[in-house]
Amino acid sequence: MSNARITRRRLLSAMGVAGALAAMAGCRSHGDQAGGKRIKVGLVVPQSGVYATVGTDMQHGWELWLERHGGRLGKFEVTTVIADEGETPQTGVPAVQKLVQNDQVDVIVGIAASPVALGAQSIVAEAKKLLIVGNAGAGALTGGKNPYVWRTSFTNAQIAAAMGKHLAGHPDAGPVYVIAPDYKAGEEVIRGFKATFEAGGGKMAGEAKPAFAKTQDYQPFLTGIQASGARATFCFFAGAEAVAFVKQYAQFGLATQIPLYGTGFLTEASVMTAQGDAAIGIQTDLHYSTELDTPANKEFVAAWRAKFNAAPSVYSVQTWDAANVLGRALATATALDGDSLAKAMGAIGTIDDSPRGPWSFENQSPKQKFYLRKVEKRDTGYVNAVLADLGEFSPLP
Amino acid sequence: MPAWLDTHGISLLNGLAIGSLLFILAVGLSLIFGMMDVLNLAHGVLFLTGAYVAWWIAGEAPSWPGFLGALAIAGAIGALAGTGLALVIERLARRSHLDQALLTLGLALIAGDALSAVFGNDVHTINPPAGLDGSVLVFGKAYPVYRLALIGLGAGLAAVVHLVVERTPLGALVRATVADRHMVLSAGVDDRKVKLVVFAVGSLLATTAGVLGAPVYGARPGLDGTVLILALVVVVIGGLGSVRGALVGALVIGEIESLGRALLSNLASFVLFGALAVVLVVRPRGLFGAATGARS
Repeated sequence: MSNARITRRRLLSAMGVAGALAAMAGCRSHGDQAGGKRIKVGLVVPQSGVYATVGTDMQHGWELWLERHGGRLGKFEVTTVIADEGETPQTGVPAVQKLVQNDQVDVIVGIAASPVALGAQSIVAEAKKLLIVGNAGAGALTGGKNPYVWRTSFTNAQIAAAMGKHLAGHPDAGPVYVIAPDYKAGEEVIRGFKATFEAGGGKMAGEAKPAFAKTQDYQPFLTGIQASGARATFCFFAGAEAVAFVKQYAQFGLATQIPLYGTGFLTEASVMTAQGDAAIGIQTDLHYSTELDTPANKEFVAAWRAKFNAAPSVYSVQTWDAANVLGRALATATALDGDSLAKAMGAIGTIDDSPRGPWSFENQSPKQKFYLRKVEKRDTGYVNAVLADLGEFSPLP
Repeated sequence: MPAWLDTHGISLLNGLAIGSLLFILAVGLSLIFGMMDVLNLAHGVLFLTGAYVAWWIAGEAPSWPGFLGALAIAGAIGALAGTGLALVIERLARRSHLDQALLTLGLALIAGDALSAVFGNDVHTINPPAGLDGSVLVFGKAYPVYRLALIGLGAGLAAVVHLVVERTPLGALVRATVADRHMVLSAGVDDRKVKLVVFAVGSLLATTAGVLGAPVYGARPGLDGTVLILALVVVVIGGLGSVRGALVGALVIGEIESLGRALLSNLASFVLFGALAVVLVVRPRGLFGAATGARS
């Protein structure tokens, strides 16, 4: 009797296991039938901390591309695994490590902050995985040392060089005062600016490096700018610092006396909304503006507004383009390992359908056009109106 | 001298404005420490709460009713939060001061994340209320009117706090508790009520400083940690538990942040903590620390 019961129980459990196996097998065969090739992409974006709004735009850029292309990159069906980059390498690097080791992704996309991207370099090199950086601008990130690290963003010095050339050739520009935070990106910007500005015959009025992330009040520096006899100010600030600097530049009366120029992040996305009227008239340069009058950009902006009910940003475009170039590389790549994909990335040529305009890879970083933009207030809000095309610039380290 | 004033007068003035704001922020932290020997590490998040309340209630371009309403609501939130903090710390009264400080740190981290969850990660700015949102010419340069108002407000509050602490029975009790808690207890005074009041008022001043500071510093994630460090430097330089120390410490830090950075622009990153190091070496108890007497 007891034997029979055990047998029955065993039988039932055996049936359960068999049923589960059958269900799993069913899934698998169903997936295979659906269309073969799959790729697993790890998307690393800040979901918390000070860069969270940048991370949201990056993630949306990736998702919008996939949505408009049937969830596919070329012939590959895409599975995206998202990890939170956080604020620092202490959170960002483990996020990359987890995607590579635990989730076994084929490609890593994203990364907003340069220190995180620099920390992730060795991980992707060891695992031989392709990394497409969606924002970080550190010069040392690309340039031949690591064949697996590519980016669809910019280099810090590249943006500054474009503005340096423009201001040097400006007919009524006098001496220019340069101010940027005292960390690596700030140094790269000052170096990039000076290189083209001084080569073009521009004269410096002075230079200041406020402590990064520790300066709330820029009054001492603003007074220094006034005392220097500068005819224009060029600055590099982003996020909360950009808001504080621009607001105080207006409050202390400099905005009406000494025109403010900067790299595009000074007035990008939500930062510009927070600055309000203090931002009006500021001129910046960047490789994108929502106001670019091209069919590709108009289509992109309309799609973005329809889905997210907001304006896109340069961060949106960079990850949108990351999906675009990955799709193009997959079309010719022989396998999904880093070496095959890196080789395919190198053969892409000009990307002609980007919202930012045509660009191509040089030393694994975009060689692209920069636009002179001016903040204007419209009925719909503040925009970076495009004043001029500053021409194409190579990615300077 | 006039030439020097032309160049640096604005920095000198701005030091007073920042110092006034820092005083309103730090005096509560100093008194709470003097009373309870607890470094309230939630003080920074109280400031940030005030700043967010200002943005939420009054908006980006506040009217006077909006701004005053924000001050009232932030003050009420501060007093409530302070009372709550005092009660939970009281439960750890038999534990070490480190445990009590850690409790406030933990609560500060939770509150900071909660603020991010509620108000998002965007940077918010608040204009000064109408009439104070312009600039006037001082020493031939434009200076924001609101910061001038801050100087007046800081001076007024310093006078009020000074009078309360020096001239009222409650103030006498506070001073006595700061000087020698055990003697006050053995004299038959129940110091728990005094602690509650000091904690509530100290926290109220922190959220008030948050509203008043919003037009200068804005409201953003991470601001809580920044202002907490500034407040800690102020009370360490001024001497813990002393109103006069908090005032002098705040003005010193205000001037260091403004005039010091203007004069030594190449060393701007180091002047704040350099000054702290000098004070710690020369007078480890802070400028007015000795006057507060023995502490257990």
